[in-house]
Amino acid sequence: MLSIKNLKASIEDGTQILKGIDLEVKPGEVHAIMGPNGSGKSTLSKVIMGHPAYHVDGGSVELDGKNLLEMEISERANSGLFISTQYPTEIPGVNNVEFLKMALNSKRAYLGLPEIGEDEFKKLCEEKMELLEMDDRYRDRGVNDGYSGGEKKRNEILQMAILDPKVSFLDETDSGLDIDALRIVANGINHIMAPEKAVILVTHYQRLLDYIKPTYVHVLRHGKIILSGGPELALKLEKQGYDWIEEK
Amino acid sequence: MDALSRIKQLGMPRRNDELWTFFPVAKIPAPEFPEASVCEEDFSDEKDFAALLPVAQNVHPMVKDIAEGASEMALLKSNNDFGRTVLNIGKNAKASIEILDNKVLHPLVAERFDINVAEGADVEIFFANPACDLPLRFRHFRITQAAGSTVRFSAIERGNGISRVSIDDFLQGPGASIEIRTLNMLGGNAESHHRLHIYHNAPETTSTQLSRNLLDGSSRASYDGSVIVGNGCTKTLSGQLVNTILLSEDSSVSVKPVLKIYHDDVECTHGNTVGELDAEQMFYLVSRGIPQETAKKMLISSFAKETFYPLPDSPAKKRLLQVLE
Repeated sequence: MLSIKNLKASIEDGTQILKGIDLEVKPGEVHAIMGPNGSGKSTLSKVIMGHPAYHVDGGSVELDGKNLLEMEISERANSGLFISTQYPTEIPGVNNVEFLKMALNSKRAYLGLPEIGEDEFKKLCEEKMELLEMDDRYRDRGVNDGYSGGEKKRNEILQMAILDPKVSFLDETDSGLDIDALRIVANGINHIMAPEKAVILVTHYQRLLDYIKPTYVHVLRHGKIILSGGPELALKLEKQGYDWIEEK
Repeated sequence: MDALSRIKQLGMPRRNDELWTFFPVAKIPAPEFPEASVCEEDFSDEKDFAALLPVAQNVHPMVKDIAEGASEMALLKSNNDFGRTVLNIGKNAKASIEILDNKVLHPLVAERFDINVAEGADVEIFFANPACDLPLRFRHFRITQAAGSTVRFSAIERGNGISRVSIDDFLQGPGASIEIRTLNMLGGNAESHHRLHIYHNAPETTSTQLSRNLLDGSSRASYDGSVIVGNGCTKTLSGQLVNTILLSEDSSVSVKPVLKIYHDDVECTHGNTVGELDAEQMFYLVSRGIPQETAKKMLISSFAKETFYPLPDSPAKKRLLQVLE
């Protein structure tokens, strides 16, 4: 499904942030990426989506055999990649629901499908908003405009639910969420997850993984995945931190 | 001194005239004037050529009175090269005034509006001119506000010619306020120049200026905004902000904020930003599958609409946002 091989990327001043990432994600899998601050976790999601602030120095990223690195950003999204950043961007003046519809219709156009009908879209929106326990305030406001941290994360998952991507890369989706919101968002992700899809979660804490059971847990440090394991690895990291890995 | 004599005294605008600093004065055709002025008003203190020009042409002013406590909507349209409108808004009246475009295709069109706002009145003045080909247009507003009055002035300019809007606002009574929101959406060789003087002549008066520019092609915009806070005008609040997005290499903007403050205990701010479309916002939209060009249009539209979102629900807000759809 998603195959990342020896991915290296740097920022404008030449500093290399990703120093050879290897990651294989298969359908139905949930991968959790953990690691200290500044290890390159957020950079990874942005690089595979094509953020212009990063330069790919080498390696490959394929989604279902297609080279993502050769695609325009919108094409990567329409091919089935979704990323949610740690701090979702605010876009005042662009209505949230109109934006969702525009994004969905862009994907449908890419897939050769007709635009979604008004009633069908309304129903889809209502269904997903209900799943995430979102009220009507989300409809009338600008994209993430004036939202609290938790509201932004919920809105990200709403987009994920509507765009129905193959692979979702969620960067610290649990940050800024209170206990109830964490449960709602996690349940939403579990509901969207399906055997033909995959999720990559970046998190610092076990608490999200109590709700979303990972297939694999990886530790990213200094731009490389230095350790991979099963769900038990997250529990160990929660207790012991990261220093023991280097000691090992 | 009548307007014609004052124009003769001042002469045509020159580049070193501080009221015309950014304007391409060489492009102003020398108008023909009547032999004598019929208007007996004294204009000896008026320094702005654009404010004098329609009066010096002896145009017959259109006078409209809105009675005390009345609520009215009005459309104003001048059908000549030169026009003058006098609006007297009565005490506690509520008025919504839309200025329509003068379609006279002459080399120079100039309009003057004298707006007298009585105590407690609430007035919105707006124009959203359709793209037009007027080569050179001046619009001058002289607004006098009594205590507790509110004026909201909003405008969209997207013509192909050269436009200059000048506003002199006199906040004469305590609690008077003015809110000015303008948007220039220019391309080609279009130019839009704004020259504002806000006089805070009473305590506890408020002025807000927001000017936004979306400039493409070789277009130019300028904003020359002065706030003058008089002695004894305690608790004055004044804010000025100019935001510009340059959509092309050849477009340009000039901004000159001026604050003249003759009293302590006032709060006056000004700010100016010039940039391109927000790269993070662009990335966010395209990362959701929206094509680059569509995303660009969405961001331009959002930048433009934001100019007027804070307005209260009113005919002005409805019209201005409708124009931007």
